Order: sequence, then structure tokens, then C-alpha cells
Amino acid sequence: MSDEAFGDLIARLRSRKISRRRFMQDAAALGVSASLAGAVIQSMPAAAQSAKQVTFWTSHTEPDLTGLKMIVDAFNKANPDTVVKMVQVVGSETDTSKLMTAVRGGTGPDVYMLDRFTVAQRANEGVIQDLSSYLSKDSVDLKTRDISFAVEEATWDGKVYALPFDTDARAIYYNKTMLKDAGADPAELDSAKGPVTFDTLNGLATKVNKSAGNNFSQMGFVPWFDQGWHYTYGFAFGGNFFDEASCKVTPANDQVVAGHQYLYDYAKTLGAQKINAFIGNFMGSTPYPPQTHPFITKKLAMVLTGDWFIKNLKQYAPDIDYGITYIPIPKAGDKSVTWAGGWSLVIPQGAKEPDAAFKFMNFAAGPDGQKIYTVQTSHLPTVKALEADASLYDARHTFFVKDLLPTARNRPPLPVGALYWDSLTSAWQAIYLNQQEPKPALEGVVGKVQPQLQPSCPIKIGG
Amino acid sequence: MNPSTTVQTTVDESLSAAARAQGRTGRFHLPSRGERRNLVLGLLFISPWLVGFLAFLVYPIYYTFRLSFTRYSGFGQPTWIGLANYQRMFDDQVYHTALWNTFYYVALAVPIGVIVAMVLALAMNAPVPEVPVYRTILFMPSVLPLFAISFIFLTLLDPNQGIVNEFLREFGIHPPNWFGDTRYAKIAIVAIAQFGAGQVALIFLAGLKGIPQSLYEAAMIDGAGIASRFRNVTLPLMTPVILYDLILGVSQGLQVFTESYIITQGGPANSTNFYVYYLYANAFRYGGQMGYAAAMAVVLFLITFAIAILIFQTSNRWVHYDVT
Repeated sequence: MSDEAFGDLIARLRSRKISRRRFMQDAAALGVSASLAGAVIQSMPAAAQSAKQVTFWTSHTEPDLTGLKMIVDAFNKANPDTVVKMVQVVGSETDTSKLMTAVRGGTGPDVYMLDRFTVAQRANEGVIQDLSSYLSKDSVDLKTRDISFAVEEATWDGKVYALPFDTDARAIYYNKTMLKDAGADPAELDSAKGPVTFDTLNGLATKVNKSAGNNFSQMGFVPWFDQGWHYTYGFAFGGNFFDEASCKVTPANDQVVAGHQYLYDYAKTLGAQKINAFIGNFMGSTPYPPQTHPFITKKLAMVLTGDWFIKNLKQYAPDIDYGITYIPIPKAGDKSVTWAGGWSLVIPQGAKEPDAAFKFMNFAAGPDGQKIYTVQTSHLPTVKALEADASLYDARHTFFVKDLLPTARNRPPLPVGALYWDSLTSAWQAIYLNQQEPKPALEGVVGKVQPQLQPSCPIKIGG
Repeated sequence: MNPSTTVQTTVDESLSAAARAQGRTGRFHLPSRGERRNLVLGLLFISPWLVGFLAFLVYPIYYTFRLSFTRYSGFGQPTWIGLANYQRMFDDQVYHTALWNTFYYVALAVPIGVIVAMVLALAMNAPVPEVPVYRTILFMPSVLPLFAISFIFLTLLDPNQGIVNEFLREFGIHPPNWFGDTRYAKIAIVAIAQFGAGQVALIFLAGLKGIPQSLYEAAMIDGAGIASRFRNVTLPLMTPVILYDLILGVSQGLQVFTESYIITQGGPANSTNFYVYYLYANAFRYGGQMGYAAAMAVVLFLITFAIAILIFQTSNRWVHYDVT
């Protein structure tokens, strides 16, 4: 028997690189007696022996995945009695089929990362667990810890089902050089001067547009590109998407229709097909290589996108001289409105280690975890204390945190969140393709969504 | 009359009827001990398949049928709502669009698929020494998963940088924005489907090999050219294989899913929202719609079944089973 080999084996056991069973087998192979090997296991620290395994599923991809991994590592280091294993799974904001089938089959994870605007829906379906008892046991008060809209989204039927993890906000990015070259003054867009109107923005955009044959070779602005969603224009024009008193979805109210009328007219003026051929395959939610984004390739002078784009620009186009400003306003004197989303952590039904799972979640979604994530990925935190910590952001992020987030709107957390999103998306596409007028298209959304919402009425948001 | 006597009489009558029937045909008799033993043994031998068949096919079909009468999220208890899910299909505009898109796809993809596979099979059957190499090359795209092909086509059909549009521009054609235009998105997906034609081509190739060479020789002696030989010998004798492919193609075509899942997510404006894609969205994306999705599955089954019957009914007019 080699003492050195046995010593090495013990070290591997202690660092949990091998299981206890594997240790016994390997020890036997080295000729160590079973009683001696057993004694080694007995002498292990109790915590390491009974370390709880927590499985954590996320559908995030790089670069955010690295941020999550750093949180997991930090937690595992600080908590030897729990081992969190992160697994990347297929899925998206609204597609959780992997989670649902696994939970049904009894092989679900202990922690899942869920888009916060679907928490109400998944809670109503019964896929995820009520966290109230864990929160009160650990005396965590989300309402004082996190920003209020995020807590609202994490709540369904008066109970908290998720811990808010991060957030975001949308704004206009503009390429100063492209605007200057086209004879437009980028200073007009300076955020210090407040928001411009959509008319002003259109004027600047038109100067940049250039055609080559039947196609645009460069464009000033494509309103529905990137984050120019239905919700974006509905909110920007002062609209609401849900009326709590009557428990009705309201995608066809005048302001939301006005927002979509802007898209419809923009497409009509420049030619819907011509614009969409310029944008090409970037439409739709299929992930495309970020380095081919038309703002990054300097073909698009202005884009409506989120705070995370700062990081993309830093990585793929550090030479672009750009500014960030408010989403435009319908008429002078109006307030600019943006909206925020974000993710959350939940415990699915049938989790094997729910207590340990909550301990990890509370670390990841609490100040410790969110701080790591904010620094690493430059996403915005939902923890109020971190938002106040200026050392975590560069100057550009401060605009999002200080000027946009406090008044940002959010999608109504409804049990039909995904259906509402998809129905709005079809209508919005028909509108910017000039196939349907905004009013009838959006009225069609009511017909699809309201009957499915009805069984859950009345609904109290965040109540 | 005493009711028990009545029952007794009826039983006696039916027993004697059974005995008469047995005497007449010799087919209706209780199995002997040996036969029973054989039956049990036989069933035991195929039990792995039987268990799989019952657990993974019969039960899910029954369960889907039952779910189609409920409102269900996949968790907790389903709520019985009778025929409401079926009624909803009549009013659901997206459902109508999805159904129309799917029929449009099948009507284009299946016949084109037969032609492409036939051309491939004829090429694979060419009397040249290098034919194994050609067969491999022609079959290769069918080995790729549809998932991967979808990504390839996303690049090929890019409106600005895509090689297909570059090619069209060379000829002065103003190329379309394939996946971004509601008029072309379905057609692009029909084109993608042709990459899987190699599988069918192999079956066609087997069919071609089964045609006796003597028929071609006889036709040549009668002065038939290539086209005439194809029309009068090859095509009629291939009809049983074509029938097989039609039925298979229709049933697969009605289930088109991957391309719209990967490339277009049903868009733009629902133009590639196919039946099974919409079914999937209801089951796994929209909360509490598992019952509606199940009802859609039941209806899809009935549609597939009806079309298959229809094709069979017409087949005696155009399918030739006999060489003579």
C-alpha cells in the first residue's frame, strides 16, 4: 500500500472530488482495509459528509452564464454544508417546457431561473412553490430590500413565489459620428436636454437614410428593431395594458393604438418591405451573433435597446462614439416612459432540498449575489442598496439606474403573460408589415387573451 | 316465467348456436390447453414491445383524449369543461391561421417532395461506376438534423448577405426577404423540407431496383425513348411506393414544427405558425392550455386519418400493383 496514494485519495474525498463509495472502492484497490477506510470517512467533518445537493437550472447563455457561475462558486465556498450544481438547460423567457416536463416526471431542479413577468402564470399553473414560509423564517422583507415593481412581479394572489434577481431598462443609443456625417446634430439628442419628440427623432433619422438600388444601405432608425416591442410603444405613448378594476386586458386603448400607429406610419412612409429587408434576419427572437448587429456594423445610426448593450458595444465596437438618451415623447412636454423586466429565482414543485435551495436563492438574489452579477455582467440589480452604490457602475449605467429605472413601467404580471406577449407580437408584426391597421389588430388581441384571463379574475397586482 | 329460467334458456341457446357455428366453420372453439400455453408464451416473448406499446402509445392516446375535455395546466387537478375546447377551435382565429398554414405547407411540400425524391432516386440509380459516391453525396443532407439545417438556411436565405439572394441579384431579380415576409416565409420552409428528401429517395431507389429489366428491354424493342420508358414503365410501377410516401409525407407534413420553432417562432404575423407549433405553444408556453392542446391533437389525428383514407380511396385509380 502506498501511503502517498492513500493520502491523495483522502484529499480528494475531503475536497469532494470523489464520492464516499468511490473512496471505499479505490481504497480497497490500494489494499487499505475496509475498517481503516471507514474510519477516514467517519472522521470527515460532519458538514462535508452530509452536504446537501442543490440543483440549479438556468437557460441563460454567455456572457451572463459566467456571472451566475461566479455566484454559485462564491456560495459553495461560503457554505460547505451545501453544494449547488448549476446546469444550463434549454428554454427561453416564455418557454419552460423542459422545467414543466421534468417537474411532472419528478426530476425537476431545486432552483430555477424564471423570467419574472411569467411568475404569476407559473404560480397559477402550480409549477412553482409559495416562498412565504421561507421568507418569514429567515425574516427577509422583500419590500424593503428590492425595488417595488420587481416584488410586484414576483407576487401572485398575495403570496411571494420568486426572488427578484436583476432588472433592465430601455433607451435610445445613437452613433454620433454617423449623425454628424449625415449633417445632423447629435447634440440635439443629449440626455441632459431631456427627451426629444418622435418627430425630431424621425427628422434626424431621415437624414441618415441612404439607398442603394432597391435597398437601404444605411438607416437612421428602425422603430421596431431590437427592443422596439409592442410594450415599448404602448408605454411610450402613455398606454396601459391591464385594467385592474375591470380585470380586462387593454391593448386597444387609445394610447397603445397611438404607439402602434407611429410604427404603422413609419413603415408606410419608407416602405415596410424595404425596411425589413434592411434589418433582415435580425428580426424574430432567434439569437444572432451580436457582432453583426447593424448598430455595431455602423449601418444603423440609432437603436432602441437595453442597458446590456453597453457591454456589447464595449466588446464588439469599442471605437463607436455613441450617446444614450431617453425614449422619445409623443409631443413636447410629455414625460418619457421606458419599461423594465428582469429575471427571478424560484423553487419548482417537488424540489428535493427546498430549504437548502432557498438558502442559495437568498444568497444569489440578495445583495451578495446581485453585487457579483452586476459587476460581472453589468445588468442592473433589483436590490435598492446596490442601486445606490455608485462604485458598481460606469457613467453610462448611471443614466439607466438614476434617470430611467425609478419611473420605469413593467408588463402586468398576469397568469396569461406568455399568451398576451405572443398575441401582441403577432399583432405588432402585422402592423409594422403594414398588413393590418393598428386598431383592429390590437382589438384581436383582446379576443384571444381575455377569455383565458377571465377564470383568474379578479386580480390584484402585487396584492 | 321465472327470470332465471329465461337467462338459462338464452345461455343454452347461445351455447348451442356457438356449437353449431363451430361445427360449420371450425373456427370458433375455445383454445385447448396447448394453444393457451402457446398464446401466453407468445405474448410473453413480445411483452417488451407490448408493454412499450401500451405504456407509451395506447395510454398517452387515451390520456390525451380525456384531457381534451378539461382545462388543465399540467399540474394539480384538471377541471372538466366538456366540449368547450372543441368549440373554442371554431372561434380561434390563430387556430384557423395555423390550420391554413399547415395545409398550405402540406399541399406544396409533399408533391414537391415526391418529385425531388424521384429525381434523386433516378440519379442514384444511374448506371455509372461512381454511383455509390453519388448516392452518398445525395443522401448526405438527410443525415443532418432539421435543427442544424434550419440554422444553415437562416444564413443561406439572409436577405442581405445570403448566397441565395446574391445569386438572384446576379440575374437582376429583386430578391425577397425570405423569413421576414409573410408571402415567402412558408415557401422558404417548404424549400428546407426538401433537404430531407434523401430518405424517401432511398425507398424510391429500392422501388426502381424492383422493376424487372426485361420490361425496359421490351419497351426499347418497341421503340420507346427515355421519356416514354419513364412514363409508361417506371412511373406506373413506382406508384405503390409513391402512395406509401404520400401517406407518410402528409402525416409528417401536418406535424411540421422544427423550422418555425428555430427560425421564425411562428412569425412574421403568424405566417409560419403551424398546427403543431401552435399546439406546442398552448401546451407549454401559455398557462393552463394543456386541455386545449390535447383537443387540438385529437383533431389533428382525425384530420390525418381522414386524409389518409381519402388518398387510399383514390389509390385504386392510379396505383398499379401488378407488373403484368
